[in-house]
Amino acid sequence: MRDARIVSRRFELPQSHTLEVARAHGAYTRLSEAFDKTPSELIEIIDQSGLRGKGGGGAGAGEKWKLMLPHDPRPKYLAVNCDESEPGTFKDRQIITKDPHLLIEGIILTCYAIGARAAYIYIRGEYRAHQQILQAAIDEAEAAGLLHVKGAPLLITVHRGAGAYICGEKSALLESMEGKRGHPRLKPKQKECEWYFGNPTLVNNVETIASVPFILYEGAAAYRSFGTEKSPGTLLFALSGHVQRPGVYEAEFGTSMMAYIEHFGGGIRKGKKLKAVIPGGASTAVLTAQEALEACLDYESMQSLYSALGTGGMIVMDEDTDMVLALKNLLEFYRHESCGQCTPCREGTGLADTLLSRVLEGHGNTGDIDKLLELASTMDGQTICVFAPAVAIVIRGFLLKFRSEFEARMHA
Amino acid sequence: MIEIFVNDQSLHVNEGVLLIEALIQNRIDIPYFCYHEALGMDGNCRMCMVGIEGQKRPQIACDTIVKAGMRVHTTGERIEDVRRRILELELVNHPVDCPICDQAGECKLQDFYMDYGLYDSAVSKGEKVHGAKHVDLGANVMLDQERCVLCARCTRFTCNITKTHELGIIGRGDHARISTMPGRKLSNPYAMNVVDLCPVGALTSKDFRFAQRVWFLSSTPSVCHSCAKGCNIFIDHNAPKYQKERIYRFRPRRNDAVNGHFICDAGRLSYKSLNDHRLTCNNPDAMDRAKALIQAAHNIALLVDANLYCEQLDALVAFAQRIGAQLYCPNQCYYDEGFGDEWLRRPWRAANLAHINTLGITQSTPSEAHDLIISFNHPDLSSLTCKHKIAFSTHEGVEADVVLALRSWAEEAGTLINITA
Ligand SMILES: Cc1cc2nc3c(=O)[nH]c(=O)nc-3n(C[C@H](O)[C@H](O)[C@H](O)COP(=O)(O)O)c2cc1C
Ligand code: SF4
Ligand code: SF4
Ligand code: SF4
Ligand code: FES
Repeated sequence: MRDARIVSRRFELPQSHTLEVARAHGAYTRLSEAFDKTPSELIEIIDQSGLRGKGGGGAGAGEKWKLMLPHDPRPKYLAVNCDESEPGTFKDRQIITKDPHLLIEGIILTCYAIGARAAYIYIRGEYRAHQQILQAAIDEAEAAGLLHVKGAPLLITVHRGAGAYICGEKSALLESMEGKRGHPRLKPKQKECEWYFGNPTLVNNVETIASVPFILYEGAAAYRSFGTEKSPGTLLFALSGHVQRPGVYEAEFGTSMMAYIEHFGGGIRKGKKLKAVIPGGASTAVLTAQEALEACLDYESMQSLYSALGTGGMIVMDEDTDMVLALKNLLEFYRHESCGQCTPCREGTGLADTLLSRVLEGHGNTGDIDKLLELASTMDGQTICVFAPAVAIVIRGFLLKFRSEFEARMHA
Repeated sequence: MIEIFVNDQSLHVNEGVLLIEALIQNRIDIPYFCYHEALGMDGNCRMCMVGIEGQKRPQIACDTIVKAGMRVHTTGERIEDVRRRILELELVNHPVDCPICDQAGECKLQDFYMDYGLYDSAVSKGEKVHGAKHVDLGANVMLDQERCVLCARCTRFTCNITKTHELGIIGRGDHARISTMPGRKLSNPYAMNVVDLCPVGALTSKDFRFAQRVWFLSSTPSVCHSCAKGCNIFIDHNAPKYQKERIYRFRPRRNDAVNGHFICDAGRLSYKSLNDHRLTCNNPDAMDRAKALIQAAHNIALLVDANLYCEQLDALVAFAQRIGAQLYCPNQCYYDEGFGDEWLRRPWRAANLAHINTLGITQSTPSEAHDLIISFNHPDLSSLTCKHKIAFSTHEGVEADVVLALRSWAEEAGTLINITA
């Protein structure tokens, strides 16, 4: 397997989170090269590179950056999404703790490109220790006079969340940053940027921003030399669950899923057989072992399997896994994390969890499977944000692919 | 104006309006909880689903702007099925105990539930998420968290309209519920409007709850008399068996030129004074004694209340001329500076001072030279000294040589001129 380390290049170095080590290994040394170009040239390079958002949605970064109109007189902002609460996803925290200066450098470059003079990093509340490392790095960079875009001061503020998964959704994140409840906003009818206190704002994932320095210095073609046509570059894929060596390992898009699990994860734990893989964080459709054999780690392959690449955080389940319990675990999470704003999701996540409890307590009947599937369709496409449709995908994946396990638990 | 088609019927609607507004204005049935004309859209209840030709999925009408030629369906199997399923979810954790709920009869949830025939809850009582049933929020407002549909109308009212921010939603998912902010109570001069805004029985008025079933009440359109603003109201009244007609509540009546959708709490609760301590019958000889006093008097002052209707005041002007009396309306007793605010409440606490001004009636206290004062319900009669007094009064407790009963403003029809400035 080809070594493909763009974001994790400095991860293994001792004290890699310090300015001294980062600088000795290239951090901040080429900023002036980028400042010599115009912001629109930089946006063009990002667009050409085909960089896709690494927070789960996979939206084209260039396209989003272009929504930050240069002539808008209002102040512009960058919000870096480090809420990272999707089960199975723990890659952004690697960047924060192992190479925070890569993120800061990415922020400086991005702010120059989109015309922002202030950036916020919204970090999940539970990441307390990580936040301290990040803040220390920002302070170091500040003290070294690095926090500026072409001479104009740049303010980077770390904003801690209070432990709500939904605050990772970009508009809920901004509501939360504005001091309100983390409720997703209604989607605009046309393509537009996000808004922070009514000002144009770009929201990108930590890893997306951390990929920016490489692309702007080495060029779009260098980035495209990794990955596939539609999924260029690399991702900090992650493994959790029943593998020998769980962890975060960067790989290029297009890698075979099983090869990745073997190479980095050392295969399935204790020589067991594979049963299923949730490919990209809890909210993507579960794959059967058969599907996992065919799967490649890119957007196209996952789409052809009616699942999604998501955050690339794989949850691997071996033959001993009880799929009813696994679904119950996920539904408890969604019930707890639904923001509660819209009816189908607020009540639907709870009802789904209640119905499954019934099944587990031995009171279920086959009608409950149909009821759960009907519930999934009520939750799909009728809500404010895609939280509820994701729950629908999760329910359908488990029930349709592992139906017999659910039926075996039914009373009548 | 643009043309749209709803259920194949052509409608002409204003450009730029929300589809839900167009539907409501044209009286086309559309279920909804969270949208409100005064609060705008919020898009949380998802009840207002319609089919729009060219769109794959049903859309919410409150987040859709009308477009020329748009073809909309509010009926049909698919739309009704979606609504039924969302409504069923709305009922999952709701107690569905309409027979003991005070909102029954004017509850949106009950109406829709009857429309869609969902008589059985998907979960048993033990599986429901429970909440607090009797939370005293303050300002006469009681909250039942279990009956709440989380439409956020009440929180939007306190955030966007009164900007007092007492109410919020706490918790997430199916544990989300309405609450006052820590250490606070609902307390602002307009707080009770949340009771009217609440589409279900979650917020009820401590003052009105369990006093009457709403289907026994008759509503009469009227105007509040508690200040010069003249907010439009409904008087809800009924005569319970073997009892006299009583007023049970005032509710705001929409008038965008005066009060919009709202009234103040003081005005809302002012109905009470119209029920209690009323003077309803006269002594048999009262009229004769009044006549005798008038005939004997040399210098009469006629005191009029600034709450009388224009027609009454005009008649009293003529009466004063007939008996050679001088007209007065001492106004200091109506002025309450602390009552006025930037929104509806006016410091002048009488409904028809504008007409008193037009008629040029003296607004100071009568001179001592008068030997008889005839008062038509003027509130300040007792502070005046005079040899003789005749009082026409709506209420008991007035001291005068002769007291005669007067019908209250709620029992009369007439015209008022408000002071909007
Ligand atoms: C329920 C929900 C949770 C999300 N959580 C995260 C998160 O923790 N981190 C993240 O980067 N994106 C998250 N997203 C995606 C964001 O809305 C947004 O698309 C992303 O931050 C954009 O950055 P990107 O284009 O660089 O991926 C979430 C989305 C949803 C619907
Ligand atoms: S879908 Fe769920 S998480 Fe998203 S806004 Fe609605 S209730 Fe909140
Ligand atoms: S209390 Fe009433 S108005 Fe407030 S959110 Fe609940 S249902 Fe809506
Ligand atoms: S503002 Fe004045 S008119 Fe309106 S309800 Fe209050 S007291 Fe009555
Ligand atoms: S009225 Fe449209 S979603 Fe509530």
